[in-house]
Amino acid sequence: MSIPIIPVELIRIIVALGAVGAFVGLNGLVLVYVERKVAGHCQRRPGPFEVGPHGLLTPLADALKLVGKQLFMPTGADPWLFWLAPIVSFLPVLLLFLPIPFSPVLTGMEVHLGILFILAFSGINVLALCLAGWGSNNKWALLGAGRAVAQSVAYEIPLLLSLLAVIFMVGSLNLSEIVRSQGSWPWQWHICTQPLAFLIYFTCAVAEVNRNPFDLPEAESELTAGFHTEYSGMAFGLFFLAEYMNMIIVCSIATVVFLGGWQGPFFSGALWFFAKMYALLFIIIWFRWTYPRVRFNQLLNINWKWLLPLGLANLLVTAFLMKIF
Amino acid sequence: MTRQAAAEQVAGDFYTRHFVEPGPREDTLILNMGPQHPSTHGVLRIVLELDGEYILRAEPVIGYLHRMHEKMAEVKTCLQYMPNMGRVDYLHPLAWNWAFVGAVERLGEIEVPERAEYIRVITVELNRITSHLVWWGAYILDLGAFTPIMYAFDDREYLLDLLQIPTGSRLTYSFFRPGGVSTDLTEDFLKGVLEFIPYFRSRLPMYKDLVTDNIILRKRIEEVGVIPLEVCRRYGATGPVLRGSGQPYDVRRAEPYSVYDRFDFEIPTDEKLDAMGRYRVRVAEMEQSMRIIEQAIEGLPEGPHIVKGAPKPKWKAPKGEAYFAVEGARGKIGVHLVSSGKANPYRLKLRSPTFSNMSLFAEIARGTLLPDAVAILGSLDLVIPEIDR
Amino acid sequence: MSEQWMKGLKTLCSARSSFEKTGQIWSVFLSPERILEAARRLYDEEYFIEDISVVDTADGFLVVYHFDHFDGSARVALRCLVPHDNPRVPSIASVFTGADWHERESHDFFGIEFTGHPNLIPLLLPDDLGFHPLIKEEKARVPLKDLMEPGEIVECDPGFTLFPEEAKEAESEKPAKEATQGS
Repeated sequence: MSIPIIPVELIRIIVALGAVGAFVGLNGLVLVYVERKVAGHCQRRPGPFEVGPHGLLTPLADALKLVGKQLFMPTGADPWLFWLAPIVSFLPVLLLFLPIPFSPVLTGMEVHLGILFILAFSGINVLALCLAGWGSNNKWALLGAGRAVAQSVAYEIPLLLSLLAVIFMVGSLNLSEIVRSQGSWPWQWHICTQPLAFLIYFTCAVAEVNRNPFDLPEAESELTAGFHTEYSGMAFGLFFLAEYMNMIIVCSIATVVFLGGWQGPFFSGALWFFAKMYALLFIIIWFRWTYPRVRFNQLLNINWKWLLPLGLANLLVTAFLMKIF
Repeated sequence: MTRQAAAEQVAGDFYTRHFVEPGPREDTLILNMGPQHPSTHGVLRIVLELDGEYILRAEPVIGYLHRMHEKMAEVKTCLQYMPNMGRVDYLHPLAWNWAFVGAVERLGEIEVPERAEYIRVITVELNRITSHLVWWGAYILDLGAFTPIMYAFDDREYLLDLLQIPTGSRLTYSFFRPGGVSTDLTEDFLKGVLEFIPYFRSRLPMYKDLVTDNIILRKRIEEVGVIPLEVCRRYGATGPVLRGSGQPYDVRRAEPYSVYDRFDFEIPTDEKLDAMGRYRVRVAEMEQSMRIIEQAIEGLPEGPHIVKGAPKPKWKAPKGEAYFAVEGARGKIGVHLVSSGKANPYRLKLRSPTFSNMSLFAEIARGTLLPDAVAILGSLDLVIPEIDR
Repeated sequence: MSEQWMKGLKTLCSARSSFEKTGQIWSVFLSPERILEAARRLYDEEYFIEDISVVDTADGFLVVYHFDHFDGSARVALRCLVPHDNPRVPSIASVFTGADWHERESHDFFGIEFTGHPNLIPLLLPDDLGFHPLIKEEKARVPLKDLMEPGEIVECDPGFTLFPEEAKEAESEKPAKEATQGS
């Protein structure tokens, strides 16, 4: 009798993907609510208040509305590219959550090249925006897609450089390893040893996820809605969800790499992770309801003239110091 | 397709016929900004020829909200026409009220009681503040910041509640009458205005700290949309656009009507000529309006709010012509009234300030980026119904 | 206010009017071919354009150009009368660029042909409207002399007969006036 081989790792990944799916859905709803409540309080109004106590069920109503809406496709659009774009935008996001260590136990998959994995797959999002812009047969969408590509490609470089500085210090690309290299108190986190890298990372992260003040690909006062001008119903909903998920991803990476991950004073665990992640998300949302938008040439100038040289310098200094000590 | 053939194919078509010189280049993009676009604030359409995001040519296409107010005037009596004047510019309707009754009074040589003049000044200046507040919020909204418009509308709400007391409406006022105003001011109103002024004065520094001094905003609108004085003159641009180009021209001073010569106020100007200059002029004007209101309330005389024997609905204007200009929130509002001695005006010409201000956009926008075009459009403070009339 | 721009300009009739009564200080009748020259002179004197308006009278279309000066109340009204059957006026858009839209608007409403206009297509009205809404019916038109008083006439061409009585008065007063100015 042969013992049946149980593909443990495969089951684990499937379970993790299911959990990630649920997490994504739940977080999408929560973030919609948080976004609207923060917006409300920034603007001296209570925000959503009608559906459920304190408007708690508003995101559900929003989701229902989006699902119930008719899906339109403009004449002259390329149907393959048009419908592929939201899917391509959304699916990689599920994979991105796999290697993120929410706690030592709550880790979908221990990937030795975790950061590389995330950065590689998050690049697919650019392709989705490009497809959406080209496939919609709309000039605004095309301009938005052009902006999205230029912006994402440009900002990926300093983002990588700032992460590399930390990776040099830790000597591992494994996200759990990076968390373990930090202590439980704030001064033991990499934000204290690499403050400049954190600032560069956070700026780039806001730009990567197309959030204000860098939300040029979907700048509604200039490009109506940018690359998703022609999308309705759940097709738009998928872009929307993907944007929120990307926000969670970049904030999770920031938490893991710079803020000590699941570790924190007094106790360790997923609670700390989520607290830090949501604090960063709150800051990004706060930006949106506070700042005007930059112009596109300014956006690229910030990247090529400031963030990139600074990131390089930071990396060189880090490497130099690592060599000496 | 050769370039020539391409040019022939599109020359004078529905999109490009608006350009003076027909035919786009082969490698450019013709883009319709509007009639439905978030930052044109109404149904304004601008045909843009873009090279990447650089604007090679821009041509506004207007008329989507045209209501032929000038024809309506010819089939109504002067008094029946008053409600139209609340609907030309929905943000500063009292100035249009004034321009029209001013022309009627000039033509009919109607005396206006002093109290009525003061009431007019108070309400028009309050209305000017509401207009500038809407502009301020909407302009920052164009530049991508959502929150200031909520604060602006919060303050505007205060004023609309106040203006509702004498005028009875919140947006399309029809408050003035030839020979005075329709109702007298109440104590509640005056008390409310006197409470509003210190409240609003305490808000302005906050707006300056949070919005005007924001580095992103300043980088967006400084040195954008520079309008030299000569261009203003060629296009007949007036109001904050002209004052933002350094010319202290204000109809309230240059052509003093009513009791404006009794008040002490400044005409804010800016030497930078750019969108930021126009921004600063408008913000400073709100402060000046408050100064005028304070002085007007202090000096508010007793007396009737409308002259005895004021024109009745069937009143016939004497034959002749009259031009009356007032300073609206967007510039010089002019009404040219020609009467043949009948109850209906023979011809009424409305000079709308945004019509002239808008026409210079094509020249200013050339060579700028698409986001700059939005910044310039916003800085001109356009009210589409006023352009189209 | 400087009236330098009027020196040497051949006008049909120029009249000073009271600002309090009509809101303009000069009312100048010109033949259509002189309008561009007058506009250029006003431009050199730093006037700005206010608007272009048309009045449909029994004598023809009266095209009224309003100009003002930044220095103060100095509104100048240039007027030129064109016949109903062939309303043609030279465009002044080459001098005052803003006149472009005003002329297109007048073209919409009255069908006035502004010769030399760069792009005389409808501005406010639809392309296929087919009529000019502000043109009055024949019987509703009123002669010019019943619509406006020219004011205090300074100079008048003898051939200009729109304001018969006033023109004659001005002619008779003119020598006397010159005499008082000279003394």
